[in-house]
Amino acid sequence: MTKFKAVMTFATVLGLAAPAFAEAPLNIGFIVPNPIGEVGWDYELDRGRREMQEHFGDKIIVTAVDSVGEGPDSTRVMNRIVAQGADVLFLGSFGHMNDGLALAKRRPDLAVLHAGGYLNEANFATYSPKHYEAAYLCGMAAGYATKNGQLGIVAAFPLPEVLGIMNAYVLGAKNANPEIKDAKVVWLNSWFDPARNRASAESLVAQGADVLFSLFPGTPAAVAAAEELGVYVTTTLSDNSEFAPSKHLCAGQVNFSAIYIDQVNKVLNGSFEGVDIFAGVAEGAVEVAGLSDDLSEDQRAAIFAKQEAIRSGEFKPFSGPIVDNTGNEVVAAGNQLDAGMIKGMNFLVEGIDSELPY
Amino acid sequence: MDTLVFVLAGAFATATPLLLAALGELVVEKSGVINLSVEGMMAVAAVIAFVITYTSGSHLLGFVGGALAAMLLSLIFAVLVLVFSANQVASGLAVGILGLGMSALLGRSYESFTLTAPAKITVPVLSNIPLVGPILFQQDLVVYLTIAASAGLIWFMQKSRNGLVLRVIGEDPHIAHNLGFRVLRTRFLAILFGGFMAGLAGAYAATVLTPVWSQGMIVGRGWIALALVVFGTWRVLRVVIGAYIFGALLLADLAVQSLDIGIPSQVMTSMPYLMTILVLALVSRDALRIKLNAPVALGENYRPAH
Repeated sequence: MTKFKAVMTFATVLGLAAPAFAEAPLNIGFIVPNPIGEVGWDYELDRGRREMQEHFGDKIIVTAVDSVGEGPDSTRVMNRIVAQGADVLFLGSFGHMNDGLALAKRRPDLAVLHAGGYLNEANFATYSPKHYEAAYLCGMAAGYATKNGQLGIVAAFPLPEVLGIMNAYVLGAKNANPEIKDAKVVWLNSWFDPARNRASAESLVAQGADVLFSLFPGTPAAVAAAEELGVYVTTTLSDNSEFAPSKHLCAGQVNFSAIYIDQVNKVLNGSFEGVDIFAGVAEGAVEVAGLSDDLSEDQRAAIFAKQEAIRSGEFKPFSGPIVDNTGNEVVAAGNQLDAGMIKGMNFLVEGIDSELPY
Repeated sequence: MDTLVFVLAGAFATATPLLLAALGELVVEKSGVINLSVEGMMAVAAVIAFVITYTSGSHLLGFVGGALAAMLLSLIFAVLVLVFSANQVASGLAVGILGLGMSALLGRSYESFTLTAPAKITVPVLSNIPLVGPILFQQDLVVYLTIAASAGLIWFMQKSRNGLVLRVIGEDPHIAHNLGFRVLRTRFLAILFGGFMAGLAGAYAATVLTPVWSQGMIVGRGWIALALVVFGTWRVLRVVIGAYIFGALLLADLAVQSLDIGIPSQVMTSMPYLMTILVLALVSRDALRIKLNAPVALGENYRPAH
C-alpha cells in the first residue's frame, strides 16, 4: 500500500510538473473510419487535420490513421496511439464512441474529441457541424434552379441529423420558390453502396425530379449520375464540382479545421472541457460552396445575404411557423427550435413527400 | 409508366454482376467444389478493371484485366484445394479475404475517382416499341452477352458431353475417375471459369453499372451471387430468374419510396431479400428435386487413389 502511495505521489508530481515542459509539441492522435478519398466525410475530417497542422506547425505532432473501422480494430489503434504518448485523440466515427469513452475514463489526462456522438465526459468532447445551416442555403439554390418544381432527395438513414438537414433544405427551397411541389425522397438505409446510390438518382429523375440533393451518401455516385442525366445536384460535406462540372448547383461545405484549431488552442492553454460542440456558419465550420454559374447574380446575392444573416444570428433556419408533413404545427410563429430539438429532430416538414417509419 | 420502365429496364443492369458471378459459381459447384471467395474475386477484378479503364480509356481492356486478376485469385484457390487438398470452405474464405484486402490496397490512390460508362446500345426499330423497347432493347452490350452466356450454359449443362462429365464429377468423383474422366483437371478448369466470371462481374460493377471506385464497393454482391446458386437449386434458368427478380426488387425499393406509397423504407429495402427467398422457395419446394440437382460431392476434396 505504501509503495502504491509512493508511486501515486510520484505520478502526481510528474503530472504537476508537466506544464513546465510545455515547449514539447502537443502529441495528437487522429483516426478516421474509411479511406480518405477525394470528397466526403473522411476527406473533410482529414482536410481539417491538415489545416490544423499547417496552423500550429511544430507546436503539434499528429499521428493520423485512416480506414479504422468500428470494433476491435479501432480499440487496438486508439490504445496504441495513446500508449505512444498522445495527449489529444480525435475520433472520426460515431462508432468510435464507446471505446473512446472507456479510454477517456481510464486516462483522465487525455483530451478526446469525438465526431457526431451524444455522450460526454469531463475529458471527452463531441463535435458536430450545423450542416443544416448550409443545407438551407443550398435549398434556396435548388428552389431557384428547378424548372418544374420537383426536387428529389437521396438520403442515407432517417436519423435526426439527416432529418434536420433535409428539413432545412426544403424550408430554404420554399423560401426561394413558394410554388415548388412536395420533394420526393429515397432512403438508402445504408452509409455506403455506390450502385444503390446511383440507381436512386436515376429513379428520382425517372419520376420527374430536376434538382437532386445527395445527402450523406458516402460516395459521389449520385452526383456523377446527375451530371450524366442532365439534372442539377446539391451536395453535403464537400464541394463535389469535379464529379458534376456542369450540373453542380451548391454544396454545404464543412470546415472541420475551424473546430479543431479552436479546441487544440483550448488544450494548449488548459481550458479544454468535455462539452458538446455545435458549430455552424458563425464559427466558420460550414458555408456554401461550389455555387453554379447558372444561378443569376441576384440569386447568388440572396443566398450570400442569407448566409450573412445566419452568421450574425439575425436569421435561424428553424424559425416558426413550421408545420410538419402530417399537418401539425411543430414550431409556432415567433419561436425557434433550440439546439437540443435540432439534434433530436424527429419530424419532416410540410413539403416532403415521405413518411418516417416511427 | 416511367417508373415501371425504370425498374424493369434497370433490373437487367442491376442483375448482371450478380448473374455473371452466380453462373461462374454454379459451374464450380457443379464440379463438386465450393469457392466462397466470390466477393473477394469481384473486388479485385473491380479495382483492376477500374484502374485499367481509368488509365487506358478502354472498357474492353478493363474487363480483360479484371477477369485475369480474378482468375489469378481463383488459381491460388485451385492450388490450395486441388493440389494440397485444403479444406474448401476455409480456403475460399481465406482467398476471399485476401482479395478484399488487396482491392483496398491497390485502389488506395483511386478512391472515389469516377469514369464514364459506355453508351447503351439502342437496337434500331425495336427500341421504338412502347414499353418493351426501352426495357429490352436499350441495354449495354454486357447485358446482352450475359443473357447469351446464360443460354450457352443451359445448353452446356443439359446437352453437351462435357457438361455431363462435369456433373458426374460433382456427383461422385470416384466413379468419374474410374470411368476415365480427369477429375482434378475438370475441377481446375471449372474453378478458373468461376474466377473468370467473377472477374467480369466485378469489372461490370466498377466500370459500367457504377463507374466509380470506392473501397468495399461490391458491398456483399458476391455473397448474394453465392446465395442465388443455392436458392436457384443449381439450375441455370432458375438462377437467371432469381437474379432478375432480385435486380428488379432492388430498384422497386427506390422507385416505390420516391412514389411515397406509405410503406416504410426499411421494409422496402429488405424486400429483395425476402421476395427472392420466397419466390425461389416456392419454385423449388419439391425437396426431392433439390436433392437431384445438388451436387452430392459438393465440398469434398478428391485425391486420386492411384
